[in-house]
Amino acid sequence: MKKRYGKMAMAAALTLSVVAAGCAQKPDGSQGSSGNAVEAKKGPTKITIMANLHTPEVPSDIIEKLLEEKTNTELTFQWVPDGSYDEKMNAAFATGSLPHAVYVKNQTSLIMYRDAIRNGQFWEVGPLLKHYPNLKNLDQNVLNNISVDGKVYGLYQERPLSRQGIIYRKDWADALGLKAPQTTEDLYNMLKAFTENDPNKSGKKDTFGLTDRSDLVYGAFKTVASYFGTPNGWGVQDGKLVPEFMHPGYMETMNFFKRLHSEGLMNKDFPVTSKNDQQNLFITGKAGVYIGSMADSVSLHAKMIDVNKNVVLDVANRVKKPNGKEGVWAIPGFGSVVMFPKSAVKTEAELKDILAFYDKLMSPEVANLTYWGVEGQHYTKEANGSIKPNPDTKLTDREVKAYQALQVGGPSTIKMLEPVHTLPVKAKAEELILDNNKILIHDPTAPLDSKTFTEKGSRLQEIVKDATYKYILGSIDAAGFQKEIDRWKKDGGDNIIAEFNASFQQAKK
Amino acid sequence: MSTREAAIPGAGIHPAQTKRKDHSSLWNRIMKNRAMYMMILPGLLFFIIFKYVPMAGLVIAFQDYKPYLGITGSSWTGLSHFERLFSEPMFFTILRNTLVLFAMNLLFYFPVPILLAVMLNEVRINVFKRFVQTLVYIPHFMSWVIIVSISFVMLSTDRGLINELFAMMGFEKINFLLSNEWFRPMYILQVIWREAGWGTIIYLAAMAAIDPGLYEAARIDGAGRFRQIWHITLPSIRSVIVVLLILKIGDVLELGFEHVYLLLNSMNREVAEIFDTYVYTAGLKQGQYSFSAAVGFFKSFVGLLLVLGANWLAKKVGEEGIF
Repeated sequence: MKKRYGKMAMAAALTLSVVAAGCAQKPDGSQGSSGNAVEAKKGPTKITIMANLHTPEVPSDIIEKLLEEKTNTELTFQWVPDGSYDEKMNAAFATGSLPHAVYVKNQTSLIMYRDAIRNGQFWEVGPLLKHYPNLKNLDQNVLNNISVDGKVYGLYQERPLSRQGIIYRKDWADALGLKAPQTTEDLYNMLKAFTENDPNKSGKKDTFGLTDRSDLVYGAFKTVASYFGTPNGWGVQDGKLVPEFMHPGYMETMNFFKRLHSEGLMNKDFPVTSKNDQQNLFITGKAGVYIGSMADSVSLHAKMIDVNKNVVLDVANRVKKPNGKEGVWAIPGFGSVVMFPKSAVKTEAELKDILAFYDKLMSPEVANLTYWGVEGQHYTKEANGSIKPNPDTKLTDREVKAYQALQVGGPSTIKMLEPVHTLPVKAKAEELILDNNKILIHDPTAPLDSKTFTEKGSRLQEIVKDATYKYILGSIDAAGFQKEIDRWKKDGGDNIIAEFNASFQQAKK
Repeated sequence: MSTREAAIPGAGIHPAQTKRKDHSSLWNRIMKNRAMYMMILPGLLFFIIFKYVPMAGLVIAFQDYKPYLGITGSSWTGLSHFERLFSEPMFFTILRNTLVLFAMNLLFYFPVPILLAVMLNEVRINVFKRFVQTLVYIPHFMSWVIIVSISFVMLSTDRGLINELFAMMGFEKINFLLSNEWFRPMYILQVIWREAGWGTIIYLAAMAAIDPGLYEAARIDGAGRFRQIWHITLPSIRSVIVVLLILKIGDVLELGFEHVYLLLNSMNREVAEIFDTYVYTAGLKQGQYSFSAAVGFFKSFVGLLLVLGANWLAKKVGEEGIF
């Protein structure tokens, strides 16, 4: 207890010193880059940015230097590993040490900050966007999705609505005479065959079907749940909103996973498996099916051919249960959201300087720099104008990939360079991601509001999460699962249902 | 940790108190021993700045604390967070888990360093003794992340070393990582592996201070090795054992947040969720600062009671205690 306060006090002290240092540096800044005559009067804007890091290591500063040069800024990055991003951000928020620009990881995290946003902790940027040539291109529909009470407090990073699908070993499937799965039964049979029929012809039973991780959303579970017709977060039954885990599809999905788990068709330790370990099981040829973002097929493939040259990957979507309907869950069109805390950005003038940086970040030149890297180093241009990324993914991972997290907007709002897909699976993955748009299942509560959900929705979600794992691993039965759901209701779930429904009825009017 | 400050002698004496009537004599005494006072000053400042001042932050346990409103701006809610804590269905599970792990620590871990120290003390060849001592210290310097990762790799059912061994010998694989039954043994074994060697230091120091004449006399009286240990070694370090026991009890609820948090997962939450991990999930992950402060407050309170109780008991049986 006391220890923790000690840390807080230290963090506070650190913040003070950082703020003090920041203030001390502000007045002088005239020695900035002299090349640009217009902006020479004003020194480079100093911006501190906290963003989530998707690579194991902090990137080298090649891109950072170029970025500073092109946008006339002095950037300081606080890279926080994606896995512990929310905790770090909450701690920074609680101690008042948020930097100028904060990337909020996803919609779930954004909801947690609604209360603080309403209390005026972040700058409203909506009305300012129209003054910027690039920022004004941001899609109004997506801006609505990130808004709180109709006001826009951030810039969003574009994400395809659904990248979810199945990546599988086509070489294994061909060896066993299997076709791409079309139903959940096909999927089951593929996983079973991959486990029992020796797809790698090693003569030993050293493979299994599905590799999954300790994530019920971005792991395999939620995507498979879509295949069973489960709604996305909340579903509408008889005109009323009902949480997904009360839908029969959720139970069917759990039964499906329970079957996989008990028959050894997936990694037994999946509730404690990290994303790295999950991917490694696939990369090293132990598992044959990976369910998640189909866009990952490229990076997975690149790592796999290091292990085994003959690997062929394929992707699949539109899987459904027998006699079911096709569908796949969707996110609301944005990944992370950048917000600007008033505790760090003191004046509107400062805010405008920072927005000017983001405006430049959205210009095609800078956007391509942060996304693709430097021409000749990280990619080469083809004759038709499309580009070929450097096949050395270790290099691009080290120098470029982390900066992709900075992007605001995306291909539909910025004129980005188009890659040529030398890898057939990549081309097909892109195609299927577009195809997913025809069968999307949206979360109806995205624009709705529930006070209880904001306050303790994520803690209550833990109950459901634990119960789901327990059911799949067989330590509770259907009655036990129902008991946990009742606990969820009693601890506040009933309020959430009531509040969302009230908000839902109001929105319909 | 919470008891260390109480163990610092003279913590109450401070130059600021010199305005008293007898200030000349007190001041004189301080001046006379100023070298000593200078030496405890850094420690004193440490406790004031990092232990006592932050305690004021506990007031947020009685508030509906919002970071952006600050302590002065947040509204007061009285004891509502404590009411919620005691009515929380998880509360008794957490209390039970904390106390069970504590009892296991006391029962299984606490005697190990004593045993190890006695064994080391009996080693005749000095080189060998030093060598073993160094070896058993090493685990202490590994972080829990490393230790837990190593045991994950060894205990996993997907090609974990130990489970593969079981499979080879024809036994069923055991899912150590995902079971309620195996969490506690796993926890306590890891604690022993990491800390037992380090724990011997103080005992060995105490044993070094035993008068060799005692052993000689015992030998002349015909006492064997075990008699000597039983009648000389152990009684001589008894007061050290008692002090360490009380300090250990002070740490009752400091079961190592990092360690337990790393082992915690959906499948063993029922036995693995303790106050520390609960404070973390409720406070930092979900932003319920006041509630988690209340939980932490309660935890410290229980710890204080246990220390006072143990100290009282120690004095009752004729030992010195720590204050």
